[in-house]
Amino acid sequence: MRLGFIAYKNMVSKPLNMVLSLLLLVLSVSLVTFVLQLSGQLNGQMEKNITPVDMVVGAKGSPLQLVLSSVLHIDDPTGNIKLNEAEQIMKHPFVGSAIPVSYGDNYKGYRILGTELGYLERYGAVLNKGSLFDTSFEIVAGYAVAQKLGVNIGDKITSSHGLAAAGGEAHEDHPFTIVGILEPSGTVVDQLLICNLESIWDAHTHGEEEHEDDEQQETDGDHKHAGDEGHDHDHEEGEHHHDDEDHHNDNDGHDHEEHEHNHGDEEHDHSEHEAEGDHEHDHDIHEEDREITSLLVKFKSPLGLVQLPRFINENTNMQAALPGFEIQRLIGLLGSGVKTLNGIAVAILLVSGFSIFISLLKTIRERRQELALLRTYGLNTRKLLFLVLFEGLFLAFIGFLLGWLLGRLALILASKYIESGYGYVLQINGPDFVELLLLGVTLVIAIIAVFLASTSIFKMNISKILSDV
Amino acid sequence: MVKTNSLHFQYPGGELFNFPDIDLGAKEHLVILGPSGVGKTTLLHLLSGILPANGGSIFINDTEITSLDRKALDRFRGTHIGLIFQQYHFVRSLNVIENLQLRQYFPSKIKEKERRLAIAERLGLADHLGKKVTQLSQGQQQRLSIALGLIHKPMVVFADEPTSNLDDANCDKVLGLLKEEAKLCGSSLVIITHDQRVTEHFKNTIAL
Repeated sequence: MRLGFIAYKNMVSKPLNMVLSLLLLVLSVSLVTFVLQLSGQLNGQMEKNITPVDMVVGAKGSPLQLVLSSVLHIDDPTGNIKLNEAEQIMKHPFVGSAIPVSYGDNYKGYRILGTELGYLERYGAVLNKGSLFDTSFEIVAGYAVAQKLGVNIGDKITSSHGLAAAGGEAHEDHPFTIVGILEPSGTVVDQLLICNLESIWDAHTHGEEEHEDDEQQETDGDHKHAGDEGHDHDHEEGEHHHDDEDHHNDNDGHDHEEHEHNHGDEEHDHSEHEAEGDHEHDHDIHEEDREITSLLVKFKSPLGLVQLPRFINENTNMQAALPGFEIQRLIGLLGSGVKTLNGIAVAILLVSGFSIFISLLKTIRERRQELALLRTYGLNTRKLLFLVLFEGLFLAFIGFLLGWLLGRLALILASKYIESGYGYVLQINGPDFVELLLLGVTLVIAIIAVFLASTSIFKMNISKILSDV
Repeated sequence: MVKTNSLHFQYPGGELFNFPDIDLGAKEHLVILGPSGVGKTTLLHLLSGILPANGGSIFINDTEITSLDRKALDRFRGTHIGLIFQQYHFVRSLNVIENLQLRQYFPSKIKEKERRLAIAERLGLADHLGKKVTQLSQGQQQRLSIALGLIHKPMVVFADEPTSNLDDANCDKVLGLLKEEAKLCGSSLVIITHDQRVTEHFKNTIAL
């Protein structure tokens, strides 16, 4: 007959006594662990995803949006930029490497990213099986995409317009062939289908040679819609509307595009753009009109960080955004939310410590005759204190365990939600150092509550207590 | 076995109790008889060391318990003294057999299962071992109380008004059980009571 057994029996014989203090403890522990895990993992994933990119160059708009869309792939792009303008940046002496990316289509909600093989190298993505893309309409699937969609080497997939799974015009005449599946990298690459840039351009020609230019323009227009509206729904509406008009105006499609453009872009950008466009129109319309969504730049020299963004923002109709800076800003915003939530959780933890104290005080009062009886059985005051201590620690431990499990459960639910919305997966890990520290704090609070509640044990008048009816 | 010298006690602001000297041999029985308010329960609490005396000395088996410190006294009491209270005290979250186990285990860590079952059998509790103590009848609670007073084979057992609310037949029965168990355990027995019926069963009586 151990003291722990008696403490346990005492606890379960009056479970309602413990429910309130347990509830508060469970609530605070689950809140703290959930918030810490969520923010920690999101920060970690963002960090991992932005490290390979020093600077993003894309269409003008919100720099945060540009980073979110082109690096993290959780937002719509700001618009498109001309490939030949981007190439000017690529040649800049401060630029170490620059990788163009182009996207705007999806397959069952997973983004199809047109880029160069260098993109995979940057993220350290290696093949699990198959081969890398070599020609147009060959595509490699990120590990998570392949897992979720159950696709395999040799499968044909048809991309759909837009970045969301629902709706969107399918490019049925241009199916992609999956040639490779990547190893899990723990980065955004896991969530992408990756092909070369030409595939993206070719997918939007619809195989109509004579209208190639017009169609090329059409995709540009679409992308600008996507960027400016920022909503898939609007984007699709615009697109349909656009298609209809396009068919009516097959002959003067180009003018029409210019018109659309005017609506979509800022006025001064437009005029600049037009001037440049006219200038190079003579040489090669086809090459000149090729567009990409953005350019992912890694600097060669730290000077690039100082000079290039300002140069691009002031002298071109593109914008440069620094992922490190933008994400820092974002985390700064989220961070205050995290701090507030943690503050609330700590407050609840203190209240729960107080409620454990009250609960123990109540049990000690209710059971003072039993405690006095145990003294006559030969248990000294120290043993009685241990009895109460067991009870307090038991309570704290159970509360922590339940709270931790609840926090993880919330994390699983959050992971499902985030995955369906943004394609990110949260890891469900065992307890980490901070959580063990929290367990320690919880137990210390319980011990303090026990000692405060137990003072009456030391000055117990057994004779009087046992004589009381 | 139990020996007192000029024992006295005074509650704060209350009257002074002077108790007659007691000298009880091993395995002997003693009834301390007196009306309400003469300090019977006080004497029992003094003898069992749960109330410190103001003066005088108490020896139990040649150990002067009045000079032991609190911790040693707790241990001595737990090992060598059995108590049967007027109001029954049990650990309510434990069942019948667990209560017996608990009393047996502390402080000397004895785990004789046969003894628990035998004493429960003799006291008619064998069919109620898994019951909660609150589910027992009055008589069963009284018998459990006797079992708890003797399970650990104390040198002396003190019983406080063990017959106070029993009819004659049950009074005889309970006193019989007490005597029998004390004999089996080799314990001295001290009964404190106002009940004249008790004196009929015992030769040795002190009046307060």
